[in-house]
Amino acid sequence: MERVFLLTVEHLQLSLMGVLIALLVAIPLGIFIYRYKGFAGVVLSLTDVIQTIPSLAMLALLMLVFGLGNTTVIAALVLYSLLPIVRNTYTGLNNVSPSLIEAGRGMGMTRFQRLRYVELPLALPVIMAGIRVATVTAIGIATIGVLIGGGGLGVLIWRGIQNTDTQMILMGSIPAALLAILADFLLGKIEKRLIPKGMN
Amino acid sequence: MFNKKALVILMILVLATTALAGCGSSADITVGSKNFTENILLGEMISILIEENTDLTVERKLNLGGTLVNFEALRNGDLDLYVDYTGTGLMAILDMDVINDPDLVYDIVQEEYMEQFGLKWMAPMGFNNTYAIAVREDTAKQYSLETLSDLALVSDELVLGSHQEFYNRPDGYPGLQETYGMNFKDTKAMEIGLKYQAIGTKDIDVTDAFATDGRLISYNLVVLEDDKQFFPPYHAAPVVRMDTLEEYPELEGILNSLGNMISDEEMQQMNYLVEEEGMDEAKVARDFLVQKGLIGQ
Repeated sequence: MERVFLLTVEHLQLSLMGVLIALLVAIPLGIFIYRYKGFAGVVLSLTDVIQTIPSLAMLALLMLVFGLGNTTVIAALVLYSLLPIVRNTYTGLNNVSPSLIEAGRGMGMTRFQRLRYVELPLALPVIMAGIRVATVTAIGIATIGVLIGGGGLGVLIWRGIQNTDTQMILMGSIPAALLAILADFLLGKIEKRLIPKGMN
Repeated sequence: MFNKKALVILMILVLATTALAGCGSSADITVGSKNFTENILLGEMISILIEENTDLTVERKLNLGGTLVNFEALRNGDLDLYVDYTGTGLMAILDMDVINDPDLVYDIVQEEYMEQFGLKWMAPMGFNNTYAIAVREDTAKQYSLETLSDLALVSDELVLGSHQEFYNRPDGYPGLQETYGMNFKDTKAMEIGLKYQAIGTKDIDVTDAFATDGRLISYNLVVLEDDKQFFPPYHAAPVVRMDTLEEYPELEGILNSLGNMISDEEMQQMNYLVEEEGMDEAKVARDFLVQKGLIGQ
């Protein structure tokens, strides 16, 4: 049981790490292509392409660069998390009503202030939806990390599959499912707090 | 507006703990394995053998996804050794054509691996996990079958069942037809896992299998001898980095102590114990080593 717990913690760490690093890249990237729309097509198709690479192939490719172990798993999760976050950031910002931006401008806000106090807060629900998708996906994908020497709950799931040991498969997959549900729930809570009063 | 500080702290915590978790692996030797029972078992067996006969510490990276992952990890030094099969080395890694002489295959992979990659093949462990053609025990008795040449004589009375790939590969059914002149009454394609069930229920009489598959035992099947050496050899042996051998010269003798120690039947039996009886790989591997006198009780 202790082993299941440790693997669950490791699984959560891997998934969160992947999404957090992706956030640091994806949100600025989303803002960038919102400002400079000429790049939007290229960036979004690129993230689309990344998303279509089968996960085992992606891991095998990344392994050539990052070697065996958790670093490669995290790198893969970062790449898979890019699309939902970049796209939702871009879409969310684009959907902000021009009249509100105009109002900000009328109040004498600088470009940065408008982004910080008007556009981002208004786009937040859409951005958060992207982050939630990315997190749940990451928790799922992290289960195959074991195939390139990573840890997490996949260790139990794959061992169970080889030995046709259903109990072991469940010991890996139930905590993974619970993690996904829990993460989505908590992100929902965070989203509520982040959205400024007066919206909704 | 919101608890920014808490979020930042959470982020730092996650980053820090993961970073800490990342810098482990202080073991002397890292052993890899592919993701199927037999290879995991052998990885475990070698790890135990090293631990029991030296003071070296071993890290197990068993269950890695396939030949490519293991081979590349071995090449870039993430692994020190894993068990591979001579036929796989010849065809999948070196990209050469099928060769049927087992000794020749071993010599070629040995030489090419050393020259191209600085990797050394240890002594083969004995068994040959190649394709095999199997029939039910009662079929074998009824037609007194021992070899594939025997089978070819009565093939027009029997039904072959196999997975789709076997019908398409040159080292599968087309080659068999050509080499042995087999021509079955009927051929059926199905999922790998279902073949065994189908032969059990007598829907088919003949199937292909991996020679060391534990299910050959549970379904009471007899493997027919490939008397014309049609199937390429897949002898298993540890593949080790040269620089690891230089650093720990004692490894070579220890790994070679497994040479010719495991017969087809013994490997089959061990796979059976893990896959069908649900025993732990480490336990099965250790019992075998004790039984062979390679480690103490």
